[in-house]
Amino acid sequence: MLRYIVRRVLIMIPTLVITSMLIFTVMLLPPSDYFETYVAEMQAQGERADMSRIEFLRKEYGFDRPVVERYFLWISGFVRGDFGYSFEYEMPVRDIVGERLALTMLVSFCTIIMTWIVAFPIGIYSATRQYSWGDYGLTFLGLIGIAIPHFLLALLFMYFANVWFGTSIGGLMDPVYFNQPMSWDKAKSILEHLWIPVLIIGAGGTGKMIRRIRANLLDELQKQYVVTAKAKGLSPRKALLKYPLRMSLNFFISDIGDILPAIVSGAELTAVVLSLQTTGPLLLRALQSQDMYLAGSFLMFLACLTVVGVLISDIALGFLDPRIRLSGGSVK
Amino acid sequence: MMRSILRGLCLACALAVATPAVVAMAAPLDEPPILADAVREGLLPPMKDRLPAHPRVIDLPAMGRETGRFGGVMRMLMSDQRDIRMMTIYGYARMVVFDEKGDIQPDILEKVDVTDGRSFTLHIRPGHKWSDGEPLTAEDFRYYWEDVANNARLSPGGPPFSYIVNDKPPKFEVIDPLTVRYAWDVPNPGFLPALAGAQPLPIVMPAHYLKQFHERYADKAALAKLIKDNRVKDWGAMHERKSRQYRPENPDLPVLDPWRNTTAPPAEMFVFERNPYFHRTDSEGRQLPYVDRVTLSTGTASLIPAKAGAGEADLQARYLRFDNYTFLKRNAKMNDFSVRLWTRGEGSYVALYPNLTTADPVWRALLHDVRVRRALSVGINRHLINKVVFFGLARESANTVLPESPLFQPELQRAWADHDTVLANRLLDQAGLEKRDDDGVRFLPDGRRAELTVDASGEVTEEIDVLELIGYDWMKIGVKLLPRTAQRDVLRRRIIAGQTVMSVSQGIDNAVPSADMEPSELAPAHYLQSQWPLWGKYVQSRGQEGEKPDVPAAIELIDLHARWKSSVSHEERERIWREMLRIQSEQVFSIGVVNGTSQPVIVSNRLRNVPEKAIYSFEPGAFFGQSMPDTFWYADAKAQD
Repeated sequence: MLRYIVRRVLIMIPTLVITSMLIFTVMLLPPSDYFETYVAEMQAQGERADMSRIEFLRKEYGFDRPVVERYFLWISGFVRGDFGYSFEYEMPVRDIVGERLALTMLVSFCTIIMTWIVAFPIGIYSATRQYSWGDYGLTFLGLIGIAIPHFLLALLFMYFANVWFGTSIGGLMDPVYFNQPMSWDKAKSILEHLWIPVLIIGAGGTGKMIRRIRANLLDELQKQYVVTAKAKGLSPRKALLKYPLRMSLNFFISDIGDILPAIVSGAELTAVVLSLQTTGPLLLRALQSQDMYLAGSFLMFLACLTVVGVLISDIALGFLDPRIRLSGGSVK
Repeated sequence: MMRSILRGLCLACALAVATPAVVAMAAPLDEPPILADAVREGLLPPMKDRLPAHPRVIDLPAMGRETGRFGGVMRMLMSDQRDIRMMTIYGYARMVVFDEKGDIQPDILEKVDVTDGRSFTLHIRPGHKWSDGEPLTAEDFRYYWEDVANNARLSPGGPPFSYIVNDKPPKFEVIDPLTVRYAWDVPNPGFLPALAGAQPLPIVMPAHYLKQFHERYADKAALAKLIKDNRVKDWGAMHERKSRQYRPENPDLPVLDPWRNTTAPPAEMFVFERNPYFHRTDSEGRQLPYVDRVTLSTGTASLIPAKAGAGEADLQARYLRFDNYTFLKRNAKMNDFSVRLWTRGEGSYVALYPNLTTADPVWRALLHDVRVRRALSVGINRHLINKVVFFGLARESANTVLPESPLFQPELQRAWADHDTVLANRLLDQAGLEKRDDDGVRFLPDGRRAELTVDASGEVTEEIDVLELIGYDWMKIGVKLLPRTAQRDVLRRRIIAGQTVMSVSQGIDNAVPSADMEPSELAPAHYLQSQWPLWGKYVQSRGQEGEKPDVPAAIELIDLHARWKSSVSHEERERIWREMLRIQSEQVFSIGVVNGTSQPVIVSNRLRNVPEKAIYSFEPGAFFGQSMPDTFWYADAKAQD
């Protein structure tokens, strides 16, 4: 096991190096750079950009140096925890992302927990009462969750939350509480706003999870050991939860690898529509405006989390299901 | 005796009843309530010591406005933290400002003496102070000029372009602690307009604050520690970050604006508080601004109309568009605001720019022919476009100045702008395009069909609608229009490289000019001009790059522009402007469609002094700036909100 982990960790290094090169190359592919985009944007709004200042910034951020040098400056800084400088915000990337990370994680955690709380009982119910009215009804709901685009749901929710409950539109709290230290009222305001993004972002995930639990559990329920267990008089509860459910959870563990980066990035589009102060809109905007260090460092960060997440889920799978082999090679 | 006591009692009663009202009336005359405590405790000097000896008095009754009272919070919505520059724009406190007639008036400065149009003596108001209470003196001007603009680390390219005339910077002189002089060898009519710009030419920086970051003045060890604590690479980056004035991100930086930022980014909401040392008063001696605080909440731009409609803004125009009008209007009553329609200040909401320096030789030759440009312009049914896309609320016009400008000439508005298919067809026939194919599309001289690709950024939805309508009109004159959308910076690259034949964007940015503003938009002057990018580049680089203009009218425009730049008198400048506008319209270098379109402005019903109608544009006017938000006030302002 230990050897396996060490080997996996070592493989991570070249993977990340290649990823970082890819990210940097993609960032440089567009023919223009951030400053050109900026000038264009100012002009389109009828404003003018101060060209002498742009010259200063270009030089300040090393745009006059060769690409390879800039890559090494960036990546060596990244390793040391210096994620570079955002042109758009004119601030270190760390400060910008750091500030938004807490709220992003809050939203993501709540979403994931909600997904689990809702999906598990429904999934089990649907599997054990296959083709019943309850199964059809819940499946229908789950499919709606998958089928309706998040941003559409977001718009609908936002409108009705405002009209019916008077919740301020978008954001994670009432504007009054911006910049205020955490207080009971502020926490209440956050909770008041939080359910919308959690419900919306969770809707699709919940629907998918219901389907997967149902399918996996159905596979197990038809196996002979379940029949045997039931025949031998094991209580129906035990005959469901102790063995078949556990067996059907492999997919759930392997999902953990995806959850890690998802927690940090949040659902980008939904966050943009809902105007959440999470990292998603930040990344999107950075990509649009070619704010390359902000976007690059953030993507790189996500790449690291993905690689670590996959490792964790592989190890956890090994523990959960001893039938899974750690080393590759043919079975025979 | 008894009677007098009784009378006294009555009077006392009356006084007691009247007291709250009296206090409410009297308090603002003393101090803004928000500052009253600080003044009482001696933390802040009283108002008369905070104001300059001769403050700038805004005569509100003369402007048809009321004098107001202090207090309240003005809420605005912004997209992200870069937008806090809007406060510098809206505040519109400048060395000199453009008034509503487009004339230059002193604002921060007490007066400016101009000699021969080339020597400018600036007089600072005695007793004028920065927002931290330190005096504003000639040293602050000197610091900016010598230690920032002419410092190789902070300004690697030298002082900003507006300071350079004929490759030479001005001679700067400190005459006395309240007087400085900038003198060039030749006239520089662009200097004062640049200072009055919505994005002003930087000229002064708070030396007493910034010296701690400047290599030349700061204590080495202290500076090294500051650099380390702020995680920047050297003092230059440090100084640059601490001294941003246009985007006031540093809450510690002393300012001269009506409100100063109190929030360090990153933040979701920026709170601007009144500058206790602001230099303007109303006619009754109350120090402006009336409103204590301005808050900018940030969030997705596309949600701003919805939020504004839900009553989350007290004053909002940015990110609102005309197609939000009905939605806003529906919510206005419920959320106690009114929606005003201001006039947008572009020369044309959507304008077509034939690229006279396009890489396609056939189209280039055709577009050089004024008959073709005129035909394309008269071939457009502007009336229909106005009715269909703008509900008939816009003005059908060529791309020229608006009637609100002193330089407006009615005949230029209509020049080659009346729909006339017969005339257009005749002009195109004369230009040698008489052959048509079976669809009625003309043949170009090289045998191609006359298919004109028009590049658009597609971000303004009306652009595409207008293009579609123009496409129908042009089919009737045998020209097929093919719209093509590309992302804005891709489009810009194509324009600069001469790959476009025609592109779409807004018309003249500043269509309410006065003769004192530089006519740089009317002549080839810059590589970003869509109608002649290569000529613009040629002029800008003084013949090093780009292409030499070969159309006489364009050359004449360049000459006129140069003459404006060395002009001395207002009359001369006005003559030049009128001539340039005439050439522009006669030659149809850009094809305007409609202008004077509406900009919805949300104004809380409690907010007073906001004009019913005004021009909404960046230059001139600084969006709200010229309407002076510091004179806006709340009818029901409380001491603390």
